Amino acid sequence: MDIEEVKERAGPRAFSPKDDLPEEYRKAATRMIQFHANSEVMGGYLDKQFTRQAPSLDRKLACTAKVQDEIGHAQLLYRAAETLGVKTREEMLDELEAGEGKFLNCFHYPVDSWYEAPMIDFFVDGGAMRRQATLKATSWEPYAHAMDKVCFEEGFHVKHGEDILRELMGSSRANQEKVQKTFDVWWPRIVQFFGPPNKDSKHNDFAQQVGLKTVSNDELRQAFLNAYIPKAEKYGLELPEVPKIEYDERSERYELEYDDLDWEEFWTIAKNDFQGSDEQIGSRRKRHEAVAWVRESMDAWETSQRAPQAAD
Amino acid sequence: MTPLEELLFRLADDEYVIAERYTEWQIYAPTIESDLALANIAQDEFGHARLWYDVLEERGYEEKDLLWERDPEDFRHSTLCELAFEEGDWADPVVRSYLYDTAERLRLEALVDSSEPAIAGRVGKLLSEENYHREHAQSWLERLAEGNESHHRVQAALDRLFPHALSIFEPGEQEKEIVSQGLRTESLDDLREEWFEITIPYLESLGLSVPEPEEVARPDARGRDGSHTADWFDLHESFTATYHELGFDQPTRLRGEGA
Repeated sequence: MDIEEVKERAGPRAFSPKDDLPEEYRKAATRMIQFHANSEVMGGYLDKQFTRQAPSLDRKLACTAKVQDEIGHAQLLYRAAETLGVKTREEMLDELEAGEGKFLNCFHYPVDSWYEAPMIDFFVDGGAMRRQATLKATSWEPYAHAMDKVCFEEGFHVKHGEDILRELMGSSRANQEKVQKTFDVWWPRIVQFFGPPNKDSKHNDFAQQVGLKTVSNDELRQAFLNAYIPKAEKYGLELPEVPKIEYDERSERYELEYDDLDWEEFWTIAKNDFQGSDEQIGSRRKRHEAVAWVRESMDAWETSQRAPQAAD
Repeated sequence: MTPLEELLFRLADDEYVIAERYTEWQIYAPTIESDLALANIAQDEFGHARLWYDVLEERGYEEKDLLWERDPEDFRHSTLCELAFEEGDWADPVVRSYLYDTAERLRLEALVDSSEPAIAGRVGKLLSEENYHREHAQSWLERLAEGNESHHRVQAALDRLFPHALSIFEPGEQEKEIVSQGLRTESLDDLREEWFEITIPYLESLGLSVPEPEEVARPDARGRDGSHTADWFDLHESFTATYHELGFDQPTRLRGEGA
């Protein structure tokens, strides 16, 4: 199949490993799914701290289950990426720890307090869920299939995240103020979560033409703002003044001042060159190297298990 | 503290504390698959802790008394559960889980016919899950014991953990009453003997050398009397800090009534 035919036939779940697809499509799909899988792993680095901090046994169980789900999603997604025949899971994991794997901007910022739990588990995950819901209609069938399970589980995570926010904002004034302060810091990052405006996006056009993406960055951001600004306000959060966001009654859209956002930081992050990137990727590398001896000994063990049969 | 309460605190605290430690491996385990498996086990153990704490709550305790506002010296878990992990030392959770889950099965079997219905009625679900934990630990042990470096690491973990594992069987103040009232149908001494009969030959069959139980140097901290290693006080501080910072009236329950 050539690229023109791919564009013609592009549609929800249009292509599967049975199709002979051009390299350009397979590489673009790999890049997108690998980014998604890496984000699940790196999101886990933030989220795992909330398990330790959780202020009740039930919350702790929900937090640990969430981290487990994220690793489960990474497993599913790397598998979906492997079906494209471009990279193996090992290669993708190696790239991640070498600082060559890309992942969501929000996961380049280390966290340290429970007040950040709703930022990640409600707003960032809420945004992720919006994006993932549209990917159920992506053209690479194994990716869409993975999204069915991922979206189902994400629904629980976002509900839990919302409940953490509700609880914090219904508690002491001091807690409310700390959540607001945390929100002020996180909100611009969350708005940037959906990537640059359409006009500045590198991969948008092609990914949409071949049906990998079904909705543009700007449309996703708009849908997110429509749903989550009223929720933030409902719990008593105020939007920071920057970036400027105004609701236009006529178009029923939030008009965002894109230039208010720090795109230089965004692009630095996109290259994994941000200070937080070093910290997060470094943590990943350090942890992964610390258990390299286990993987090596497993490989040796598997070889030794095969050897007797080979001799027969 | 009544004999029933002592028994329940031992059970609940063991499960809670070992789960708290296991979760440290989430995202850090050697492979995606081993990450998922250990996370499963951690959640099972948290679930078991909750189930035993629930029995205490039925007897008038509240979650904040049981976990969040209880002095660290009042926890009754074995010191095996509380020890910190060395970074990257995957042999530790494998050996720890094997030693713990083998003891846990024996202990649960001695609760099947407990004179306390709230205990006897809950044991079945736990036993089926503990079997999976033990199989998981054994399959890792058998692989790691074969390699060169990994064998050394398993041996080192065993040498370090075994003296602490003995505190699983350390009696508390009410041990006599626990047995005479039929709350547990076997004494800790008998359980320890059975545990030796299972663990020692098995570990030796993997080429490991098991410390001599009567000769091994025991740590001062025995757990069951509230004496603990420094690792526990650090852990307690780290999991209660946010609770105290937030100052909520109650730890939140997410389960509906009767769930």
